[in-house]
Amino acid sequence: MNCEVCQLKELELEHFEVREVLRCVLHTIFFHRALGLVRPKDVDLELFDITYVQCGDLDLDKKIEEKIDQFIDRVEKHPNKKNQICLSFYEVKNKQGTWFPKKLERLYWEQWYINLNMVQQLKAHSSKSHHSKVVVDPGESAVEETSIRRAALEASLREVLFQIIEFVNEKKDHVPPIPNLDGISFPYEITIPGSSDSAFGMDMFKRMLQTGHPTMLS
Amino acid sequence: MMSSPSSSSSSSSSIKPRDKWFNLALRDCPGVRESTDFWRHSNLEPMVVDVILVKRPNGWGPLSNSPRTGLVRNMSSKDPFPSFWNSENDEFGFETKSDKIIERWVVQYESRKSGRDYSSGTKRSSGTSSHILYKRSILLLRSLYAMIRLLPAYKLFRDLNSSSQVLTYNLSHRVSSFVEPFTRQEESEMQRFEFTAVDTFCGRLCVSVLYRSSFSDLSSEPSTPITPQFIPDYVGSPLADRLKRFPSASPFVRRHSWSYDLYGASPPSEFPSPSPTYSDSRASISKPSSHRLPPSSLPRYLPETPQFKRENKNFDEFFPSSVFSPLTSPSPPAYLHGNQLPTALLRSESAPVSIPGFKVGGASSSNKRQILPPSPPYKGSRPSASRAERSSGLVQTSSIADKFTLGKHETGRYSGVKISSGSSPQKSFSRSSSRLSLEDDFDDSEFSGPFIVDDDDVTDAGSRPGSFDQKAHIHEPLEAGGFFQVRKLQDGAVGAHRLLKKAPPLRQDITNSIILSELPGVQNAASSSVASSGLVLPKTTADAFEELRGYRELKDLLLKQSSRSLT
Repeated sequence: MNCEVCQLKELELEHFEVREVLRCVLHTIFFHRALGLVRPKDVDLELFDITYVQCGDLDLDKKIEEKIDQFIDRVEKHPNKKNQICLSFYEVKNKQGTWFPKKLERLYWEQWYINLNMVQQLKAHSSKSHHSKVVVDPGESAVEETSIRRAALEASLREVLFQIIEFVNEKKDHVPPIPNLDGISFPYEITIPGSSDSAFGMDMFKRMLQTGHPTMLS
Repeated sequence: MMSSPSSSSSSSSSIKPRDKWFNLALRDCPGVRESTDFWRHSNLEPMVVDVILVKRPNGWGPLSNSPRTGLVRNMSSKDPFPSFWNSENDEFGFETKSDKIIERWVVQYESRKSGRDYSSGTKRSSGTSSHILYKRSILLLRSLYAMIRLLPAYKLFRDLNSSSQVLTYNLSHRVSSFVEPFTRQEESEMQRFEFTAVDTFCGRLCVSVLYRSSFSDLSSEPSTPITPQFIPDYVGSPLADRLKRFPSASPFVRRHSWSYDLYGASPPSEFPSPSPTYSDSRASISKPSSHRLPPSSLPRYLPETPQFKRENKNFDEFFPSSVFSPLTSPSPPAYLHGNQLPTALLRSESAPVSIPGFKVGGASSSNKRQILPPSPPYKGSRPSASRAERSSGLVQTSSIADKFTLGKHETGRYSGVKISSGSSPQKSFSRSSSRLSLEDDFDDSEFSGPFIVDDDDVTDAGSRPGSFDQKAHIHEPLEAGGFFQVRKLQDGAVGAHRLLKKAPPLRQDITNSIILSELPGVQNAASSSVASSGLVLPKTTADAFEELRGYRELKDLLLKQSSRSLT
């Protein structure tokens, strides 16, 4: 099975916008990938004039919030400009291995990369101080700048949402048949690739061990 | 700063078998069946759904004459719940309306006759199993669902649905089986999105949409918030605190069902951002979509109209009408005011009356929009009012922003009215003012709107999206804060009392007004609305006083009863 990868358009945003933007994007992807019975829920963004759809699944909500917390945590600790968060969907397959009699394997069939470019609020501050020297109303230009930037972000967020919908429309065949899903979604994981490279690897490794462990004993 | 996502939530009511078809649990949409009926007979024809923007002509202000007929006709409309999705937009009766198709959805099932086109279809279709077909359909529907919310028209739809805003346009739709071609220019203004067709055994299902990406002509028009704002501020003023003789108004509040809370909760949105768009021309640009007014709601609000009609040199004069309407009107719906008033009071009250309970209710997600960091113009130049309403109109209950800008609001509001009265002849002012109060009505009646529009079950309150939930929440705190309401209403009543003494002739008799409004032939040519026409009866202060006494007795009686039932 091929793994389709969708690199979403980069969003330039400030720190405090991360949560809302991630929510919107992740939920929108999930709405197209949680193909179990859902009761769609319209959600208005608070910072932007955008309405998106959630699946209305509490577990999913929770997981997404957790991941967003993690991500924000990480961004705070490692203030990089470019950040990525990856949502992968996979199937779990039993595989006969040579070393282990049985092994659970994850077959990734889709990966979404959400690309965020963090901008500091410094801009607004600097322009503020600069202008105050020149006896211009200090707040005004900063406010204006903020609103321009916000509008730009809103537009590109909208674009990203369109991108998701387009991708979903174009690529349908790699999506596994809808089983009687345990939960509403295909198995998924949300990772923060750049986080700490080793940790990501370790995570994978740990997971492999965990899934392999019980069978190794037998 | 950003907590749980706001807005609509669908309740987890029972899942219908239909929902399992495509794993999508949707609410019922009653109108759909009829309008798509033709498709059942022959699903080979395309189904074309046009979403039409019905724009009211610019002259449709209070100062123009033409819309009178439209307004009156709307009043008498039989449909108690006119919906935005009403396909017969002609009933609105605007002579010079301008329609514009802003979205065109085309659903077409292309039959594949016994394999004739089979090869021309995608290769993979040959191996289409029902599973795959099913999966593709689900995906199609999901993306369709998400897409609709991304298109520009959705914003209009939401703004229309939002409470307490009177907009200069409306949305309608038309379902037909043929494509009425666009002009080249129209087409150039539209964008196209084509959903991937779903191949089935014997054909393919194609869905596409043409949509207008901007409504430039709309954005320039400021929308009109509703304007019964004088009351709360006045009551909150120290003047009103002097005497507190009136007993509790709680019985009026208690009886409210959740839907009335909607009304109670919406007034805050009358305090939009202090953006200049509002302050100046509010009265004259008010174009109430009065066709949404259930006719029944008209009479009981009539008392407010004449208040407006008087020369409003003194804003205090407005005060009595609203305060008394809950007391005077014996009909339950008028209690709405009883609710509205306390809410407004609580909101506009300054520091001493902090109502924690209420704030909790009000601090639902919608508030965050206002409280959120850092700068006001989040949405560019978009007036924040619509945003606020969208999220249920509770915004101002506890919002910091509101506290800071209240003064500014007031001036804006007042000047708005003054401008309209000053710049227009008396007659037209009377019209515009009556319209203002009609907006008030509209606000009330508005709770019936979303039901239809959302195609929701009227009875299924729980499944109402966000705004309603939030409004329902507020109900409790309101009751909890009953003391304040009681006190405040007393104050208000006392203030009104005082005002009545020195008031010019009063035309506020509710019984009279109701009767009169039902009489044919009292239509006053000068007034454009039924409301204003029936009420031009001079009343002396003494009369009003007399009545006031009567109402007070009535209220005392009610209170006694209620306190008895409470104990």
